[in-house]
Parts: sequence; structure tokens; C-alpha cells
Amino acid sequence: MFPEKPELSITIPSKTELLKMVVELTKHIATINQFASSDSQKIALAVDEAITNVIKHSYLRKKDKDIRLEYFTNGNGLKIKIIFTGIPPVLSKEGIDLNKYIREKRKSGLGVELMRRIMDSVEYKTVNDVNYCEMIKWKTKK
Amino acid sequence: MKHFYIRSKVEEQIAVIYPKGHLDAHNVERFEKEIVKLLSNNIVRIVVNCKDLNYISSAGMGIIMGYLDEIRDKKGDIRLCSVNSRVYEIFDLVGFTDIYDFVKDEDSAINKFKNVS
Repeated sequence: MFPEKPELSITIPSKTELLKMVVELTKHIATINQFASSDSQKIALAVDEAITNVIKHSYLRKKDKDIRLEYFTNGNGLKIKIIFTGIPPVLSKEGIDLNKYIREKRKSGLGVELMRRIMDSVEYKTVNDVNYCEMIKWKTKK
Repeated sequence: MKHFYIRSKVEEQIAVIYPKGHLDAHNVERFEKEIVKLLSNNIVRIVVNCKDLNYISSAGMGIIMGYLDEIRDKKGDIRLCSVNSRVYEIFDLVGFTDIYDFVKDEDSAINKFKNVS
């Protein structure tokens, strides 16, 4: 269980310029919560992917929308909640088929799969026009 | 402040691209432009030297994925070299290491192209 109150929360505008800052922040939070350095980097990448998807698909690259990030820790893991409005995400339940993507000359479609492969759980929901992405990473996989 | 730089060179119809820094959705267009510029000059043997690449997200990987079919159709390829362990782990997570040729260093990557020409 994670506490109800986040250890840290931040609201950022929907600008890709801020992706690197979010990556550095997430890496720092994971590291001070005793995640291994390589895990911290991957958790940060999962957050980058989630935020990029929000900017591209939910906000259609509009830069004046809000994205709220909440970080929860409990000693065993890290939960990151991303809260946004805009178009609700529609996620494929199928995994990726790289050969098919290459044949189709696709330049996207890897982000959610990366999130799923990095984190122990990734869940999206929409409640009253507000979208939530919740990701959890345990220190030792449970 | 810039977090990503890119340059490239072409010798004997083999290009080497040097992405440097942090490659994400914000700066991926510059990476794509470099690939498109090579393709428009019919350069299809491409080495991406990742020695100074510290970070890549799916946006950057998507560019490597999106042009591969066209490049291989034209009898070329994309080879990646000098990838640090952190970045390699990310390529591996999505299965790129099964599809792309990851080579130890730039000379080996270039020589592999020369040996098949």
C-alpha cells in the first residue's frame, strides 16, 4: 500500500521541452528511494513515454495544457500517477510486433510497450473527463 | 539549453551519424532530418555511432524503425555501434537487438558494409 499523500507532486505545462526535466526529477526520486541506478533511469524513461503520449495524443501537441505528476513511495516501491485531461488514451492490448511495424514504416507505437516492460504495473483510467495513468515499480518484483 | 546534438559524415557512400546527448520527443525531428537528408542523397548504408548518446526514448527508436524498410529495400542497412550499456538495455527491451546489427565500434560497422559491397 502506498500513502494517500504523494511524497512530491508537480504540475507542468504540456511542452516536450520539459521532458528532460521530468526525466531528471524522476531519476532523482527513484535514486533517493534506493532504486538501483539502472532501474532509476528506466523508471524515468517510462515517465517520459507516458508524458510524451499525453502531449501527442491527449493534448494534440497543444502546449498550454496541464499535466500533474504525483510520486508516492512506501519503502518497497514507487508509484507515479499522471493526471491529465484531453482525449482519453486508447491502448492496444496486444504486444508489439517489431517486424510488422518495420514493414508498415511506423515511427511510433513503442512507448506504451516500453512502459509495460519497465514497470510492474501500468494502468489507465478516465473518470469524469479526467485521465489517470498509474504506474508502479517494486524494488523486488512481487 | 540544448541537450541534443547531431552531426554526420559520408565517405565512400557510407554515412556515420553521431547523435550526442539526450534524444527524446522534443528533439527527434533533428535526428529524423539527418536520416531523410541521407536518403534523399541515396545514402543507404548508415552507421549510427552512439558513443555520446546518453539517453534515447521511443521517439528516437521510432525513427530508426520507420526508415529501415525503405533502407533495406534499397540494399542498405542501419548499423548501431559503440552503444553504452544503459542505452543498449533500452534497445534490448523492445527487441531492437534481434533486428538491428549492433557492432562494437565504428570501424567494424564500416568494414562490415565494405565487405558486403
